[in-house]
Amino acid sequence: MTDIVQIKLWQFALIYLLLLVVISVMRFGKINKTRSVLWASVRMSLQLTLAGLILTYIFQNPHPLFIVVYLAGMIAFAIFRVFSINKRLNPRFRLIVAASIAFSGLMVTAYFVWLVVGESLGNPRYVIPIAGMVMGNTMTGVSLGLKTFYQLLEDQTVRIETLQNMGVKPDKLFLPLVRQAMETAILPTINSMLGTGIVSLPGMMTGQILSGTLPMTAILYQIAIMIAICTTVCLSTFASLYFGYRTLYNKRSQIQIGSAV
Amino acid sequence: MQAIITAKNLRYLDTLRYPAIEIEQGSATFICGASGSGKTTLLRLFNGTLSPAEGTVRYGGTDINEIDAIRLRREVLLAGQVVYLFDDTIRGNFEQYFAYRGEPCASEEEMLSCLHLCSLEMPLTSRCQTLSGGERQRVFLAIHLAMRPKVLMLDEPTSALDQKTARQLLERIKAHCRQEGITLVAISHDPVLAAAYADHRIALTEEACE
Repeated sequence: MTDIVQIKLWQFALIYLLLLVVISVMRFGKINKTRSVLWASVRMSLQLTLAGLILTYIFQNPHPLFIVVYLAGMIAFAIFRVFSINKRLNPRFRLIVAASIAFSGLMVTAYFVWLVVGESLGNPRYVIPIAGMVMGNTMTGVSLGLKTFYQLLEDQTVRIETLQNMGVKPDKLFLPLVRQAMETAILPTINSMLGTGIVSLPGMMTGQILSGTLPMTAILYQIAIMIAICTTVCLSTFASLYFGYRTLYNKRSQIQIGSAV
Repeated sequence: MQAIITAKNLRYLDTLRYPAIEIEQGSATFICGASGSGKTTLLRLFNGTLSPAEGTVRYGGTDINEIDAIRLRREVLLAGQVVYLFDDTIRGNFEQYFAYRGEPCASEEEMLSCLHLCSLEMPLTSRCQTLSGGERQRVFLAIHLAMRPKVLMLDEPTSALDQKTARQLLERIKAHCRQEGITLVAISHDPVLAAAYADHRIALTEEACE
């Protein structure tokens, strides 16, 4: 299991030929996304190359400060992405979302590395990749949860106004929407857990096996990371919505969606 | 008669300014005004779902900011212009709305009585999705009546009804409110209806109630 095939650069370059297939399909189907696909491929390649160079440096010169800075960058990017997708959040809601993402992501990463793997939190080889997987999925989950929540608010304006006029307390009014948004946010994670091993071999596990790790070891890591992801998505989305919806009304129970109250 | 709601120097945002208003307890007051004159906003200022930029609203002599917001809305109940009913039976709708308020639901007898007041004689098992616009509006009003408010505010309560049904409904609701001591405040675009059923009229724009 230790015969790792080192990909030569020219062989690696062959993978980009597959993009020609994508472009052909797009042209044939008159789907106006060719530029996006190319831009995403270029950006992804550059981002990963840069990450590879930085990680190589950090792994060779491990220092807690590097880990802190890398994690801070990761969290900031995740938060920024969530905000850019959900532009209507008021400042207090934003603060809650940011704290939820950072707290749940860091807590689960620390639990994973320190207790499950038994490694030091100062070991960048474990902390950074695991935090990356956790934060990436958290970003998707929270974005989806918030987007669904605001969509529900928009679709149910009349219902909300009617209940408000009837003297229904804001928590009774918002909590069913929080529950619905939570269900939507966690669904991709649950589906991915259900399909893992049957429909798909996850990226982390595939990567480990290709780089020479025993399949059973890779599987243990995969199970652990999937549960960690599920926990973080659930925690961060719940905290964002559960504490965030309270910023949508004031002490007079007047609802103001889309701006601070 | 004593005023139950009073408003002075009321201004909402920069656009809406209201005259001094007094709503007499137990009376039927109709609010008239051209579109955009702030009729619905006025009702929302009364039930505290909106706050004025300037001026005060008093309910029972107390500034509404000193009254618990939820209690105020339950006592000064607003039936909005746009009807919302759950995809359920008429009975189910009564039950769901009362459950949202955390109150025991009205009895079957009360539900039927309120539907009768709204000129709707239908079994409680009727599904609301299959009702016409006018029928839905009357179910919606009946639910509000069953909540036994002290002030009932109706925003265009007859907008989906024909003249005959509209008159019958207003007549019954007004009689019921008088009997129960409920103050009725209604917005109506129809000057004929306002003239027929209003004890008092408030015009937010000139010639609005003519």
